[in-house]
Amino acid sequence: MPASRVATVVAVVATIGGSLLLGDVKLSILVGVIVTAIAALGLDVLVARTGELSLAHAAFLGVGAFTAINVGSRGAPWPVAILVAVATTAAAATIAGLPSLRIHGLQVAITTLAFQEFADVFLFTRTDVTAAGRTWERPAFLRTDVRLYLFALSLLTLVLIVRHRVAVTKAGRTFLAVRDIEDRARVFGVEPGPSKLLAYAISGAIVGLGGSLFALKAGSISAKDPFLLLESLQLVAILVVGGTGSAAGIVTASVLVKGLPQFISTIPFTHLKPDRIVPITSAGLLVVAVVAAPEGIGGVYRAAGRLLDRLTGARRRERPEPRPHVVEAGADGATMLPHVERPLSLRMPVPALLEAHDVRVEYGGVTALDGVSLEVRRGEIVGLIGANGAGKSTFFNAVSGLAPASGSIRFRGVELVGRRASIRSALGTSRTFQDLGLVRAESVQENVLLAQTWLARYAAPVGILGLGGTVRTERELRKRGAIALEVFGLDHLARERVGALPYGTMRIVEIAAAVAAGPDLLLLDEATAGLGPEESHELGDRFLAIRDELGLTLVIVEHHVPLVARVCDYAYCLESGVLIAEGKPLDVTADPRVVESFLGRAGTASSGADR
Amino acid sequence: MLARIITGLSAGAAYALVAVGVVLIFKCTRVLSIAQGEIGAFGFFIGLRWAARGIPGLGWHPARFTTLVIAVVVGAVLGGLIERIVIRPLVDRPPLDALIATLGIALFLALLEKELFGTATQFAPSPVGEWKVTVLGATLIAPRIVALAAAAAVALAVFLFFSRTRFGLAVRATTGDSTVAQLMGVRVNRVYRFAWVTAGALAGLAAALLGPAFGGLTPFAMTSFSLRALAGAVIGGLDSIWGAIVGSLLVGVLEAVVGGQFTTPGTAELAVLLLVIGTLVARPQGLLGTEGAT
Repeated sequence: MPASRVATVVAVVATIGGSLLLGDVKLSILVGVIVTAIAALGLDVLVARTGELSLAHAAFLGVGAFTAINVGSRGAPWPVAILVAVATTAAAATIAGLPSLRIHGLQVAITTLAFQEFADVFLFTRTDVTAAGRTWERPAFLRTDVRLYLFALSLLTLVLIVRHRVAVTKAGRTFLAVRDIEDRARVFGVEPGPSKLLAYAISGAIVGLGGSLFALKAGSISAKDPFLLLESLQLVAILVVGGTGSAAGIVTASVLVKGLPQFISTIPFTHLKPDRIVPITSAGLLVVAVVAAPEGIGGVYRAAGRLLDRLTGARRRERPEPRPHVVEAGADGATMLPHVERPLSLRMPVPALLEAHDVRVEYGGVTALDGVSLEVRRGEIVGLIGANGAGKSTFFNAVSGLAPASGSIRFRGVELVGRRASIRSALGTSRTFQDLGLVRAESVQENVLLAQTWLARYAAPVGILGLGGTVRTERELRKRGAIALEVFGLDHLARERVGALPYGTMRIVEIAAAVAAGPDLLLLDEATAGLGPEESHELGDRFLAIRDELGLTLVIVEHHVPLVARVCDYAYCLESGVLIAEGKPLDVTADPRVVESFLGRAGTASSGADR
Repeated sequence: MLARIITGLSAGAAYALVAVGVVLIFKCTRVLSIAQGEIGAFGFFIGLRWAARGIPGLGWHPARFTTLVIAVVVGAVLGGLIERIVIRPLVDRPPLDALIATLGIALFLALLEKELFGTATQFAPSPVGEWKVTVLGATLIAPRIVALAAAAAVALAVFLFFSRTRFGLAVRATTGDSTVAQLMGVRVNRVYRFAWVTAGALAGLAAALLGPAFGGLTPFAMTSFSLRALAGAVIGGLDSIWGAIVGSLLVGVLEAVVGGQFTTPGTAELAVLLLVIGTLVARPQGLLGTEGAT
């Protein structure tokens, strides 16, 4: 076990053990701190994973607290009251999240701000909402402050477990994908809309739990201050000072901002006015943190952990290059990618794997593809060449469902036009992108798992709870991903962050991820762009190996003509959305029209190609 | 009804002064500032304090009109300082970071107001006189009339600025693509500073008119005013100055009409919330905004 983890465990145990020695008054303060920490952790699920900011989380905390009191004070058992509060808050957050289906980032923040204002002056001024005069009696086993504190700690632990489950299952991966590569993620089988709403629901559910705890502690609520706009802004301050994405940092920030002022005021005869100093200090710290320390307290913890590991020698850096050769698949059973079950699969082999007929794509009056017909046979490597803007990537988008196409694209005899992108990946197409379809902030391993989203055939919330076969499914996907990384000689880099790798390595990671999704047809969009001649040559070897050893069919968009000539069985050339030549690669690249359009009037096929 | 619409327009005009600043900042720096209300309010609070107790050290009691001037000047200075110290280091960071920074500034200024001036409503005598005008059944007090006139003047000034001056052209170039503008010789940092200083001054003007129009000012009161201005800017389109004016007027009128029609507290806010969501769902770029600008 790395030293940093040991240190974390020791610190947590010591903190909890030490806190139990405090008196009742201080424990009761700590319960309030945990309420805030839970709310901030819920907000963090939204901010860190989807990149959207909610300025209404104090209102959600209020929805949770008031619901719990309304239900609990009417005689419902306490677990029922908490469950109803969690569900109601999740529903409220989902409704507040609906506009995010149409709008992004800054505008979403403004709509949540308007929601908070509406809650301040409308919802929380209604006595039926605020349960005025009603009291929720604590259940007998929580009557003492120590017990309530232990109960609060267990709720906090539950929240941390939920956050962990979100991170390691489909839910968390798809949130990040929607944040960073929204449209491109659809080819992995990610549905952006439901994914966003789920993030709001999870965030709301966590805050609802915090609200229930608030209600349990207070019994009845007369002051609405903890649920108003100011408190929402304070939650954001806690989140940023603690560091988005860092649970330890956020909890620490909650203690500093919420707990410290109250602790100081329990000291007798003190002249400090912490309840006035601390809010304004935290606002100032928020600005300083955003400008100077965007990783917050969490960043400090991480740096300390890294230092500790380096001192104890637990961590060494791997060379960020893939190993050169593709492991021969099938040589030993372990490196074979397991076969995948497909919906709508056709048993009968069709000679043409992909048949495009008269495909047209128009973007607001501009015709990007004008009646393209082409064919890709099983086991071929087909080259698609043409100048910039000829429509090559548009054709890929038409096949993978990212561009509105008319005409007919049949894959294994099944019509693709009119189907959602996620269905097309389930049918057996997969692709890479010119501008990289990877989440750079995540590890290689996580990206390979993301590419297999269509294979994770469980509902994301079920996955978080770990019900049904989801744990087994995840284990299988991880194994599949590991094999794919091994096949591409990337297994030693599995835990590295994609953004930290050299460009050429990122390209291979993207191809490995696309292959891990188990496609029959792989579309590679300018895989050699930005690579040197040697790297391009090696990548060509990998193309051949993917075809020969993994049995995939490839379509490659390429500018590097010698590569096309070396690896392709057949080539098509596009100009301004129209096919102008097809045939053997050498014939196509020698065709005068192709030379003129693609290579420029001055050069010949070979000299023009040696860039 | 007509009277309510006119009252609403006068409030909307004051929101528009803030909203034009928000849009100017957004156009130039791609930052959505939610601190504008407090930037303006802080200046006006200082003006009120000095008018009541005299300028520290000088013992001179400024005339009422000077509270407006002080609000405008302090707003402009604060805007410039914030741009230089907080916003410029955040240029290449995700847009949400700068939004959070302005949020922290709003919170800081409001709490500072609370510390310095207390939580009680500050009585705010009108800096522009105590006269009244009755238009079509609506009696408008002086600050409301001046707000209408100021909004019209700002609209005209903005039009002339962007169409007639070289600097206006530089601002438009920066809006399109700041890197290209920089390569073409536009001093982008000057454009940034101009946007924040102008927006701060407009916020100060708005605070000096809104405070008296609504019978006084408390810390955080300007936050809810600036919320309406933000709603107006978002409705109109974050990159359109005309949109900000139209959107703010819409918000002001809707608030006055709904608030007058229903006595339940919060109904007006509910209406504004629905208007914001409805507009954005139907037209994500806002009424007059450019598609893909946000």
